Amino acid sequence: MSFLTLEKLSKVYGDFAAARDIDLSVAKGEFVSLLGPSGCGKTTTLQMIAGLVEPTTGTIMLDGRDITRETPNKRGLGIVFQSYALFPHMTVAQNVAFGLEMRKVAKAERDERVATMLGLVHLGGFAERYPRQLSGGQRQRVAIARALVIQPPVLLLDEPLSNLDAKLREEMQFELRRIQQRVGTTTIMVTHDQAEALSISDRVVVMEQGRMTQVDAPYKLYENPATPFISTFVGKMNRLDGVWRKGAAEIAGIALPSEASGFVEGQAIALSVRPEKIALKPAGQGRLDGTIANRFFLGGSWLFTVETPAGAILVSAPNDGEEPAREGAKVALDWALASQRIEPLAQGAAA
Amino acid sequence: MIPMQKNGPVALLFHTLVVAFVLAPLVVICLVAFTPENTLSIPTTSFSLRWFREIFRHPDFVASFVNSLWLASLAATLSVAISVPAALAIDRYDFPGRNALNALFLSPLIIPHLVLGVAFLRLFALIGATGSFAWLVACHVVVITPYVLRLVMAAFTGLDRSAEQAAMTLGASHWTVFRRVTAPMILPGITGGWLLAFINSFDELTMSIFVTSPQTVTLPVRMYMYATESIDPMMAAVSALMIALTAAAMLVLDRAFGLDKILVGQK
Repeated sequence: MSFLTLEKLSKVYGDFAAARDIDLSVAKGEFVSLLGPSGCGKTTTLQMIAGLVEPTTGTIMLDGRDITRETPNKRGLGIVFQSYALFPHMTVAQNVAFGLEMRKVAKAERDERVATMLGLVHLGGFAERYPRQLSGGQRQRVAIARALVIQPPVLLLDEPLSNLDAKLREEMQFELRRIQQRVGTTTIMVTHDQAEALSISDRVVVMEQGRMTQVDAPYKLYENPATPFISTFVGKMNRLDGVWRKGAAEIAGIALPSEASGFVEGQAIALSVRPEKIALKPAGQGRLDGTIANRFFLGGSWLFTVETPAGAILVSAPNDGEEPAREGAKVALDWALASQRIEPLAQGAAA
Repeated sequence: MIPMQKNGPVALLFHTLVVAFVLAPLVVICLVAFTPENTLSIPTTSFSLRWFREIFRHPDFVASFVNSLWLASLAATLSVAISVPAALAIDRYDFPGRNALNALFLSPLIIPHLVLGVAFLRLFALIGATGSFAWLVACHVVVITPYVLRLVMAAFTGLDRSAEQAAMTLGASHWTVFRRVTAPMILPGITGGWLLAFINSFDELTMSIFVTSPQTVTLPVRMYMYATESIDPMMAAVSALMIALTAAAMLVLDRAFGLDKILVGQK
């Protein structure tokens, strides 16, 4: 049963469509991310749900109620802004209490709910501080507490982690998920960070140029990207352009066998395979021979750039404790047929 | 916090000269105020308070001082009351005549006060409104509003709109958002604007000469009239008193609220 439904939602500025025909059903308690590069319409979509931007066409249904034309102060949704948007002249407790005050909750109950919420975000001892006395991560948690204390039906997060440094961002991702699961609030998060979207969402909505191009669970999105853009935007992807010849993909004159079929002889195709699906083998024992051009140690894994006749290919190998092949070493690349994808190259054929 | 950089010897000398240039006239006038002589001279042998006592033998000066205080407070407050909604409208809404309105509010800055004074005098003569305190306040509101409007508009421009949006999504009405979030956040701009307007109004001479009546003479006009007749150290004593009062007011404001907070914003 859908809790929040967007139907044919569009926002048009003059002849520019910031968001076009957004159709989305979100179940109660679900965590959905809107993922895409800047300017893809994800923030516009979030602001339409929040009521801060008026949709040109389409409807927004919340729990069976049409809220498309309702003002933001009537919708009662919780929103965490990218800049956190804390009230600088109020203490942490006053910030969190603001929404309850607007709802005319009695002082005693207000204090109790604020204290409980601050405990949930681990800020119990900071109630009397001002936002300027807090670190970025603490401010972010105040913003979350302020949005959640009103027990909103839907929590909207606008790039909530983008102002934090890398380590804190990772911690806060899990923190955010923990809090969300604890409270059980239906959550929609906007992000341009694919790792963030994949790690904490139940479903990810990918947006490109105002349109939704794929809605899927994170692992499905990663394994079966619907468009070439998604395959490169979500995770790393090796894409080799070639042609279909005699039942195999031919890249720069090298035939790479394939299970795929249904292509016409001579048709332009692209073969894609993820770096972690490729294994490094002794030269001559794989599908493609090459020379290691670079290697980067990432702690948990090694990332290699391998120069092959078919072009530079990224290979990711787990760190097994031994030092792997060095730069300049001759290697072979091998992968399972099931982990490669071959698609017709529409743009290539036209060009 | 970024650590303060140390000044080099040249910069230090330059800064010293600038500060000296600003302070020297004030120091001189304050010294002259304590002269026992009958002429404007820096006291060398002894100090005297006779010229301060002299002020209080001129009830017209005391009356003008009180008059000026009322005038500046009223004019600055009215100007703020006009500027805040005007700045809000100009900053947030696109309406026909928006730029014209902005230019109109700022135009008193570029019109010489002498011209304004003559113009107001003619206008008041035409409508038969000369001499009243209310019209004097109106004239001052006109000349000080550009300062207030500039500062309040700067405060609006620097405001993070998402805080207002956050308040709205938390259930606040437009008016509550303004009262609880917007107004406190632009308070430095408002207080700064009020102070600047107050000082400008309190100092204003050129235009006031034309639009004051014998009942509404302001302190600068009184001093000017006095100085055109005789130059004696009482002028220095009045000036010294005004400097002392201003410094005291600043000190009180700083102790009570912190000048940084009022004029620059939250620290």
